Amino acid sequence: MLFPTATFTLFFLVVLPLSWLAMADMRRWRLFIIAASYVFYGWWDWHFVFLLAGCTLWTHVLALQIDRAGGGTRRALVALAVTGQLSLLGYFKYYDFFVSSSHNLAHDFGVGLPISTRSIVLPVGISFFTFMAISYVVDTYRGQFKPVTLPRFAAYLSFFPHLVAGPIVRPNELIPQMETRRDPRRVDTSRAFYLIATGLFKKVVIANYLATHICDPVFAVPGSHSSLEILIAVYAYAVQIYADFSGYTDMAIGLALLLGFTFPQNFDSPYTATSLQNFWRRWHMTLSRWLRDYLYIPLGGNRKGRVRTYFNLIVTMLLGGLWHGASWTFVVWGGIHGTGLAFERWRRDRSGGVERSPGRARIWAQRLVTFNVVCLAWIFFRSDSIARAWEMITGLFTRWGAPSPLVSAGVLSWIVVGIGSQYLPARFPLGIMARFSRLPVLGQAVVLGAALMLANAMGPAGVSPFIYYRF
Amino acid sequence: MASGPGPIRIRRAQVAEVDGRRLGSAGRALVVIVLALVFGLLLDARGLHRSAINDPAGWQRTVWLDFTGPLAGVSGAIGFEKPREWVKEALGRSSDDSIDTTVAVPAPPPRSATPRPVLETHAAVPGDPSVKRRAFTPSDPLRLWVAGDSLVIEPGYALQRAALATPVIKTVGGVDGHIATGLDRPDVFNWFLEIRHELKVLKPNAVVLSFGGNDDKAYMTGVPPGVEISAFDDPVWRREYGRRVGGLIDLINRAGAYVVWLGLPITDDRGQSARFDQINSVIDQQVEERPGGAVYLDTYSLFAGPNGGYAEYLEDLAGNMVDVRAPDGVHLAPAGADIVARQVLKDLNVAYDLTSWRRRTAAAVTK
Repeated sequence: MLFPTATFTLFFLVVLPLSWLAMADMRRWRLFIIAASYVFYGWWDWHFVFLLAGCTLWTHVLALQIDRAGGGTRRALVALAVTGQLSLLGYFKYYDFFVSSSHNLAHDFGVGLPISTRSIVLPVGISFFTFMAISYVVDTYRGQFKPVTLPRFAAYLSFFPHLVAGPIVRPNELIPQMETRRDPRRVDTSRAFYLIATGLFKKVVIANYLATHICDPVFAVPGSHSSLEILIAVYAYAVQIYADFSGYTDMAIGLALLLGFTFPQNFDSPYTATSLQNFWRRWHMTLSRWLRDYLYIPLGGNRKGRVRTYFNLIVTMLLGGLWHGASWTFVVWGGIHGTGLAFERWRRDRSGGVERSPGRARIWAQRLVTFNVVCLAWIFFRSDSIARAWEMITGLFTRWGAPSPLVSAGVLSWIVVGIGSQYLPARFPLGIMARFSRLPVLGQAVVLGAALMLANAMGPAGVSPFIYYRF
Repeated sequence: MASGPGPIRIRRAQVAEVDGRRLGSAGRALVVIVLALVFGLLLDARGLHRSAINDPAGWQRTVWLDFTGPLAGVSGAIGFEKPREWVKEALGRSSDDSIDTTVAVPAPPPRSATPRPVLETHAAVPGDPSVKRRAFTPSDPLRLWVAGDSLVIEPGYALQRAALATPVIKTVGGVDGHIATGLDRPDVFNWFLEIRHELKVLKPNAVVLSFGGNDDKAYMTGVPPGVEISAFDDPVWRREYGRRVGGLIDLINRAGAYVVWLGLPITDDRGQSARFDQINSVIDQQVEERPGGAVYLDTYSLFAGPNGGYAEYLEDLAGNMVDVRAPDGVHLAPAGADIVARQVLKDLNVAYDLTSWRRRTAAAVTK
C-alpha cells in the first residue's frame, strides 16, 4: 500500500478511530495494530507476511535468551541472532548480486562457476525492519534495553507508518510509547497535517516532475545531452531524491503523530550542510546514527588511532552504500562519502582539532563544496552502471554550448524551491503550523482539502513508487 | 507490564501548546480529515472522475465511477471545479480531462493470395534481393521514433544510446512512453490519435512500438457498434485487438514508415506471462499479414532463461551475467533494454540499407 493512494486513505480512515478506541486497553491495541500493520504489509504480497512474522519470532526468542544468558553464551547468542537477520537480508537482497559478481570475476579469468542466480523477489521494507530487529537484539545484549513480550515487540517492528521505508526507530524510542495509552486530547495535529501535506506535495509534485522532465531521460542517455542538461539533471536528482524520501518520512511521521506516537526526525535541511559530517547529521538521520552505533563504534570508532578511524569511516560508508542496493554503483557512492568523511577527519586531526569560527563567505563556500561533492556521489547512486556514471561525469565537461531543451523554467523553479526551502528559518514552518493550529475545524479542513486538490492537479497521473521502497 | 488505567473519558480538550501550536484531540483530527476529504473530493471531483475512468476494469472501478460521476456533477453545479480548472490552465494542462475514444485506424488492406511488400523500399523476406532496400547515409539518416506503454521506455533509451554510435540513425521525438496505457483503452490515452499526429510532425522512417502490457483485460473502449467484449482472448477480443494492432501498422506504413513491434516479455508471474503470450500471438499474426511493413521482435523468448522460464540475469555478449529485468519482474533493466536495442538494429539492417554508406565513404577516401 502506498501512502498517497485512495486505498491507503480508506485504510487509515478505518484504522485511526479504531486505534484510539482500542487504546482503552493497550493489550487489545497491540493486537489491533499488529493486525492492521500486517494487512498493510500483506497488501503488497501476502506471502511476505510470513517473512516479517518469522523475523519477529527469531528476534524475540533470541533477545529473551540473550537477556537471560551471561558471558560467552550471551556473545554467541547475539552473534547467532545478527547472523540470522543478516542471512535473511543477504539471501533476499544480495544473493543474486554476489552470484553474478562471482560468476563475472571467474569469467574474466576464464573459469566457469557451477552457480546460478535465482531471480529472487526483494520483499518491500526488508532492509528497514531487519535493521530495527538488529538494534533490538544488540541493545538487549548491551544491556540498554530489556526485552519485552512478543506482542509488544511485534507491534514495534511491524508498526505500519515506519514499516516499509523508515524512519529506523530504535526500541527505546517507540516501545516505551507503546506501553502507555496516548492522550487523545493532546495530539500534535497541526504538525501532523503539515508534515502529511508537505510530504505529499514533495513526492507527488516535485519529485515526480523532476524525474520525468529531466532526471530519467538524462541519466538514461547522457551521451545525447549537453553539459548544461547533465549538470542540471544532477542537481535535479539531488532535489528529486530529497523530495521523494523526505516526503515519504514526513508522511510517516505525520501519520504516526495522528495515531499518538512520535518518531525521530529523519531530515534536517541536508543541503545546507557545511561538511559531509554535517550532511550525515541532516540526511537520513536515523540511518546514519544506526550505522554509527551498530557498525562504526563496534568497528572501533575513533578509539583505535587515526588510521583505524579513517578506515572505520570508509568501511562504514561502503557497507552503508551496499545497504541501499545490491550494485557496485552504491558501493562507489558509499566510497565517495567514506573517503570524504575520512578526509575531513584527517584535516581536523592535522589542525589539532582547533577550528576557527568561519566567516559568512567561508560558510557559503563550504556549503557549495559539500553540496557538489554530495551531487557527485548522487551520480553513482542514480546511474544504472559505473560506465554510465562516467559518461555523466565526462559529459559534464565535453558538451558545453550544445542545445539544452530540457533545462526549462519549470525544472529550474523546482530545483530552486527544493534547495531554497531548506534555507528557510525554522520559525517559518513553525509559524505556519501555529497559525494552522488556531484555525477552526472547518478552516483546517478547507486548507487541507485545497492542498489535496493542488497536489493531485499538479502531479502527473498515477503514483510512481518511492525510491526508497527498493532499498 | 500493566496496560494502563481504565477507559478514557473524553472531556473538553484543554488547550495545550508545543512550539506555539495548539494540540488538538484525536476526535477533532478525525473530523478535520473527513471534512478535508469531502472538500478535497469536491474541489478535485473532475480529476478523480478522470482517474476513475483510467482505472482497470472491475468492481472497484465501477464503484469509483458511480461515486465520482455524481460528485463531479455536484462540484460543477456549485462551482467547486473552478479552482482546479485555473490550476490546470496555469500549468498549460487544460486538455488533461478530455476524452476521445476514436480508434482512428485505416480499414485493413484486401487480402491477396501472395503477400506483397507493403512498402516497396523494404524486403518482404529478409535478404530478398528482388526488392531494393532504401539506403540511408549520415547526411540522410534514418529517422527512428519510439512509442508505447511503460515497457517501451527503457528500450527507447537503449535505442537512443545505440543510435549515438552510428551517424546513420537519428532518433526523433524522444521516447514517447506513457505508463498505464495501451490499445484497449483510448479513453485513458488515445494512441491512435497520438500516432497519427506524431507521424505528421516527426516524419519517421521507422517506428518502434510496444503495447499490450496493460491490455490483458476483458474490457475495451472505442469498440465499433455491435461489438461487445466479454472475455479476454476470446475470438471477439482477438478480432478487435487484432484490428487495432493491424490498423496501427497500416497507419504507419501509409505514412511511409516501417514498424518494429516489440512483443511482451516473459514476466515473473506465470498468469501474466500466459496472458502476454496470448497478446503476442495476436500481434505476431497481424505482423505476418503485413510482410515488409513490420517485423515482430519476440522478447518473450529473448528473456526466457535456459529452462524456458523467467530469468532475471542473462549472459551478455561478453559472457558476463547481467541483471536484465527491473525489480518489478515485468519491465526491463537497462542491460536488458540494450539487448532489445541490438536486436532492433539488426532488424532495421535487414529492412533498410544502413551500411553501404561506409563502403562509399571508404572508397571516396581511397580515391
